Amino acid sequence: MKSRADLSINFCGIRFENPFCLSSSPVGYHAEMCARAYDAGWGGIVYKTLGLEKSFKVVVPSPRLNAYNYNDKRFVGLQNAEQITDRPIGDNLKDIAWLKKNYPKKVLISSIMGYSDEDWTELAKMSEDAGADMLELNFSCPQMAHTFAGYKVGQDFHAVAAFTEVVKKATKLPVMAKMTPNITDMIPVALAAKSGGADAISAINTIKAISDIDINNFTPLPNIHGHSAATGFSGPSVKPVAMRFVSELYNSKELSLPVSAIGGIETWIDALHFLLLGATNLQVTTGILRYGYRIVEDMMEGLSDFMLERNIQSLDEIIGKAARKIVDPSEFETRFQVVSVVDDAKCIGCGQCYISCQDGANQAMKFDTLTRKASVDEERCVGCLLCKHVCPVWDCISYKEVDTLTAKHAAIF
Amino acid sequence: MECNIHEFLKRIIFGKILKRIILVLQTIDELYLNAKGMKYPIDPVKIEQFKSMREPLSLQAAIKESNRCLLCFDAPCSAGCPAGTDPAKFIRQIKFYNYKGAARTIRNNNILGSVCAFVCPVEKLCEKECSIKALEDPINISGLQRFASEYGKKFTIEPLDKSLKTKGRIAVIGGGPAGMGCASALAKRNYDVTIFEREDNAGGVPRWNIPEFRLPGEALAYDVKNLLSQGVEIKYKSAINTNEAAINLLAEGYDAVVLSSGLSVAFKLDLFDGFSNAVDYISFLRQIKTDNKSIALKDKNVAVIGGGSVAIDSAVSAKAAGAKKVYLVSLEHLDELPADREEINLARIMNIIFKSGSQITGITAKEKTITGLTGMEIDWIEPGKFTPRNARRISGTGFSINIDLVVQAIGTKPGCEVVNFAKNLKTKGKGTVEVNENFETNISGIFACGDVSNGGATVVQAVGEGKKTAESIDNYLKNRRNNQ
Repeated sequence: MKSRADLSINFCGIRFENPFCLSSSPVGYHAEMCARAYDAGWGGIVYKTLGLEKSFKVVVPSPRLNAYNYNDKRFVGLQNAEQITDRPIGDNLKDIAWLKKNYPKKVLISSIMGYSDEDWTELAKMSEDAGADMLELNFSCPQMAHTFAGYKVGQDFHAVAAFTEVVKKATKLPVMAKMTPNITDMIPVALAAKSGGADAISAINTIKAISDIDINNFTPLPNIHGHSAATGFSGPSVKPVAMRFVSELYNSKELSLPVSAIGGIETWIDALHFLLLGATNLQVTTGILRYGYRIVEDMMEGLSDFMLERNIQSLDEIIGKAARKIVDPSEFETRFQVVSVVDDAKCIGCGQCYISCQDGANQAMKFDTLTRKASVDEERCVGCLLCKHVCPVWDCISYKEVDTLTAKHAAIF
Repeated sequence: MECNIHEFLKRIIFGKILKRIILVLQTIDELYLNAKGMKYPIDPVKIEQFKSMREPLSLQAAIKESNRCLLCFDAPCSAGCPAGTDPAKFIRQIKFYNYKGAARTIRNNNILGSVCAFVCPVEKLCEKECSIKALEDPINISGLQRFASEYGKKFTIEPLDKSLKTKGRIAVIGGGPAGMGCASALAKRNYDVTIFEREDNAGGVPRWNIPEFRLPGEALAYDVKNLLSQGVEIKYKSAINTNEAAINLLAEGYDAVVLSSGLSVAFKLDLFDGFSNAVDYISFLRQIKTDNKSIALKDKNVAVIGGGSVAIDSAVSAKAAGAKKVYLVSLEHLDELPADREEINLARIMNIIFKSGSQITGITAKEKTITGLTGMEIDWIEPGKFTPRNARRISGTGFSINIDLVVQAIGTKPGCEVVNFAKNLKTKGKGTVEVNENFETNISGIFACGDVSNGGATVVQAVGEGKKTAESIDNYLKNRRNNQ
């Protein structure tokens, strides 16, 4: 019996030993860090975005991070005011060359951001010369201090098409365009990148957000010398939004480009979710900021076991398998509806389902204060499953399908 | 089937050893689990470091703990509180960052709220009922209560409303938990309340007999301050022990009299009669608490007789005061001790030597000073009946210990003041006052609550009875007014 499944992928003609990559951020800031990431098992690295200091001198504000906490749960999301790299371009190119020499089988993707056609051309050529396997075009950083860079470019279809085209002309390397989620519909931008010659799309970059406010001095956080800004928000909180965009990219027949997914990936199950929604390649930053490079071990082992248990030979077999089930709400089959079922033996009698059903649903849940057990009035239950989601016992409340021809579902008064 | 005698014996011996190993493991496990919730160190306590059995919960710990709460619909924890403190509500308030609200809930529902947070046997009350026990450890309710009342103290919540004193005048005899609970509830109903307190400080048992390591003095001081802010008057050094004292108070114009004088006399064993170094726990704990320098226990051996909370309090206090060996001699076996598990574990950690399931059979003495005790292990003639008469000594189990001090902690009864309150007052058993379900005595206008009528229970029980007595008095006086 095999102990490890084949996790390799082919993305834009390049072989990755596994789909797990660092996304362009402080986790891929210099060669020593990247080397440790490769050693930990990461299949590829999108290096911290390069820019030309002669065009724009980067100074990163401080403090640059603020966590979004929920109750006692810390770091549910992370807001950052990070910029592209502030290291000299020469040092970074040397690092890329060193990494490719020492880790020839690992993939290195150079992320670049120009401010003019000339910049984009120069950065693409420099990266190729240094030995990068691929380029990622940063059209999406939501807080660049520059007036026309990052997401401002990413919201401008023409600029995206034009800059992609400039890069494609300058290099033979595969080119991936990184999308901003700070837009209503991502498809037109992705199509613009495709028209410029992009080989793949990566999404999502961070979401512009305000994570917290200091109620003592009325200043939003991070408090950067008395001011703050709506800047890039990432981590587990943004995963649902990222999943939506990834599925839309995958499901667009007109686009039909491979997708590298980014947004709240920490575990093999997160990774699997994105693969099922159509991603071929996966990128991680916030999970590493929080837990370190080592998380890739559990992602690889978990995903591998899942594949072996289900006899999946290659990740290609599962990519997009769930995306096909995302349809327009108008296509829902509504004749069969569900009602909640409480497992009496598992019910611990807290009555949270009762409270939520009373105040937030259709008053279908009953609570016996003598036996301290919840039960469902199937006549009233509209099958919203609020009860299931608030129940502290994860497998206590389930549901069953009922034929709408026999069940009543309107509120009864 | 062939019977192999060697194999058979091996199994028995092996089984016994295995059982013993399992027992040891369970004990260790239990120690760890109990220590975890209660925040005292798992390692044997260094005497000089030992300050408090229940330490405060930090803000971070309180947020984490309150978020474990399921916020039950029917809140069995609240139903489990005899004083109606409503833990379900204050835990919810902490969870939603409403810390002052939580402090108000505790103080408004239980005038001894901060004392209870330290001394309540929660494992037998609110935490026993906690729904999450079906999934994990119960919520550390006393910890959250300590956090919230501490918060209310630190960030000064507004004082309780002063009694308008527009209703009747009530005399409360005894300013312990029951008397305070009753006085506070009466003041809320705008009665004019006077507490007659024999000592120079209010609080009763918590003030004099609960050691500092279980109850910091400032917790009680805060609760007394809250009571005073309601306009309740406390007359200190006012022992009520003249003949027909309660009847006289009614005649003086008080509309009702509440007897809440507690139990002031400790039982003693005849065996120790006349020996100078055999004391009772009431005087021992009081001396430790008020003047611990006067007790020279360094390198002395102490035997505490009894197995309840006060016995453990005495034993741990003796150890903390520097005693060398402290024995806890009880008829009850370890698993039968009436003391709370939290306290038993503390005693174990403090290296108290348990002589559980044992009876004192004799003393060795030099003139009027006891120098040693002899005892034997016992079992019960009739299971489940923990009385000396039901004990059968097991031959061959005799032991003797060298002793410098004996502390008797085998129960209490009311003092002689009870018969003085009113000569027709009905009593029962060991002299406790008989009351009906409305806490009314057989004499109209005289009520009784707390230890003096229930025979000795918890602080929280006394506060609860006091509150109910207040309600009963209110109804009684309403009826009297209507009939006039």
